[in-house]
Amino acid sequence: MTLAALAADTHGFLSPTGVEIAFLLVGLVTLGAALITVTTRQLVHAALWLVVALGGLAVEYLLLTAEFIAWVQVLIYVGSVVVLLLFGLMLTRAPIGRSPDADSGNRWVALGVAVVAAAALVWVVVDAFRTTWIDLDGAPSGSTDVTGQALFQNWVLPFEALSVLLLAALVGAIVLSRKAKADAAPATGGPADRGPGAAGADKEGAR
Amino acid sequence: MAPIPGSGLAKGLAVTLRTMTRKSVTKQYPDTQPDLPPRTRGVIGLFEENCTVCMLCARECPDWCIYIDSHKETIPAATPGGRERSRNVLDRFAIDFSLCMYCGICIEVCPFDALFWSPEFEYAETDIRDLTHERDKLREWMWTVPAPPALDPAAEEPKEIAAARKTAEKLAAAQAEAKEGEE
Amino acid sequence: MNDALDVTLRLLVVFVVFLTFPLLIGQTEHKVMAHMQGRLGPMYAGGFHGWAQLVADGVKFAQKEDVVPAGADRRIFQLAPAVALLPYLLVLLAIPIGPEEGAVGEVIDAGVFFVLAVMGVGVLGALMAGWASANKFSLLGGLRTAAQLLAYELPMLLAAASVAMAAGTVSLPGILNAFEWWWLPWQIVGAIVFFVAGLAELQRPPFDMPVADSEIIFGAYTEYTGLRFALFLLAEYAGIVVLCGLTTVLFLGGWHGPWGADGLGWVWTLLKTAVLAFIVIWLRVTYPRLREDQLQKLSWTLLVPLALAQIALTGIVKVVIE
Repeated sequence: MTLAALAADTHGFLSPTGVEIAFLLVGLVTLGAALITVTTRQLVHAALWLVVALGGLAVEYLLLTAEFIAWVQVLIYVGSVVVLLLFGLMLTRAPIGRSPDADSGNRWVALGVAVVAAAALVWVVVDAFRTTWIDLDGAPSGSTDVTGQALFQNWVLPFEALSVLLLAALVGAIVLSRKAKADAAPATGGPADRGPGAAGADKEGAR
Repeated sequence: MAPIPGSGLAKGLAVTLRTMTRKSVTKQYPDTQPDLPPRTRGVIGLFEENCTVCMLCARECPDWCIYIDSHKETIPAATPGGRERSRNVLDRFAIDFSLCMYCGICIEVCPFDALFWSPEFEYAETDIRDLTHERDKLREWMWTVPAPPALDPAAEEPKEIAAARKTAEKLAAAQAEAKEGEE
Repeated sequence: MNDALDVTLRLLVVFVVFLTFPLLIGQTEHKVMAHMQGRLGPMYAGGFHGWAQLVADGVKFAQKEDVVPAGADRRIFQLAPAVALLPYLLVLLAIPIGPEEGAVGEVIDAGVFFVLAVMGVGVLGALMAGWASANKFSLLGGLRTAAQLLAYELPMLLAAASVAMAAGTVSLPGILNAFEWWWLPWQIVGAIVFFVAGLAELQRPPFDMPVADSEIIFGAYTEYTGLRFALFLLAEYAGIVVLCGLTTVLFLGGWHGPWGADGLGWVWTLLKTAVLAFIVIWLRVTYPRLREDQLQKLSWTLLVPLALAQIALTGIVKVVIE
């Protein structure tokens, strides 16, 4: 079967719909923002480009009709994780302009790891879905209801395992901050100590 | 008994809510004049008829903001054969209100009650030099000086009234004694 | 009706609401605050009891020079007010004011999450402003904003989750359709937690540590002038509208009322929102600013446990009545 016949037959790459074009464009923007995030030499700019990348991902979720996942993505990553990141940056060092010393020596190793990870993810996703198409006109396949049903009927075990992991992180954060307090007697538990716990608890709450 | 937790918070809310329902204390100044108490330090009025040009006020002024000019005049003797008297006549009395710090020392030291506090306060100028006011203006302000406030119920009598009353009582006592002697 | 026209009309209405309601609340704040302090407030602008004071303020702001400090990160500095303001506009789209078909800007399936997520983004604006101003006071303000947001996002989410549990849906109109009057006492703790946490997120007094003018001038907004500064102020008041509207919808039953159910639902929504806005102002006038440690303590040791208790209660009642 030729490519053109395939395109005419069902869905194809040669007759993209508006949604598909939007998906592609947003994907490009997200990719670009992600690249700038890791290459820019301005620390805070990197964090802000991360916002763009994460927001782009949320839009992609939306275009895939996974509304719930999209809003949780914004809530957790843009609303909490990036704020935490910015908080940490401002608390330590966030000069305006370039920071030439903020470069890592093992950038090539990092690139290799990133490429391998991306390849693995792409392979898994492509292998899992292949040529599945979402029917945009039918019942929404990613609404809160559907997501909840899937999560708590088919995927309860991984879900609970993840929540135990987060709980462990929470307890670990508390133990660490307690220990620090015992070491340095007058040290007070500032908001920074609670940071990891807050993010973990946020995730718990967002379920 | 320990207060209920949060009762302080509720009390605070009650205070603000109560204040809101009451009439506000704001005076809408340019539309309505404020009723200032007597002795308000608004401006200094000059009762120039009382002034003897003794210069005490000008000398005591910490800012040196009072300007006084005068000349001497000779008054012919009141009675034939009497002595001629000389008198100080005021030529200029000015207060520079750009320097004045409203301490009121000039009013305190004036032995002849020629200076008074007036509550009048609307004499702003656009040029600082215009704030030096001459005797005619100061005399005009005299009309705005209110009567002194009433004394406290238990206050000591004013000196003048006490003296007058004592004299009157003495006189009355003397008359009464004279009457008794006649009888 | 034509689809495009319908969408345009809705967007226009939401936009008008977005521009007028914050001004209304601002004017109310001027007057209520003044009378609570025994004053009169603005009396001249517009002639009758200073009704046009905020219009005059807007004209003044528009005339001012738009200054960007020399050492500032120009683009981020200029972008920050928009980031602070736009999320509230988006949230307004999702708040239903009446039971009718057209009484909401846009029906969103996961409305609660949408609203909370987008509101959280608004704080990024303050962070960007604080960092990009190249001013130590601004940076301190930004830091305080972040610390406050981290502390209060959680109880707010938990309280909202409690309502979603009770209603069995995360859509805002869905929650209102499921509403019964006895939810009021049932969810009252959650309502208080949500409202207080929301106040903290908006940085309204008594939670205005990030802009404490007696300590750090005006926090993240110190370097702003003119229209950009006005946009930040508008964001604060739009935030009040959004918070009060959300509390109304989630906890106070939105368009439900003792009477006038048909056709007058939107009056109830607006009335409840207005009462809540009054409470926001009232709290501002009454209470002094909380210290940073008090802020953190209030959230972590009081609001979070209360919200968790509310979720437990909601769960128990939900299981029992089924």
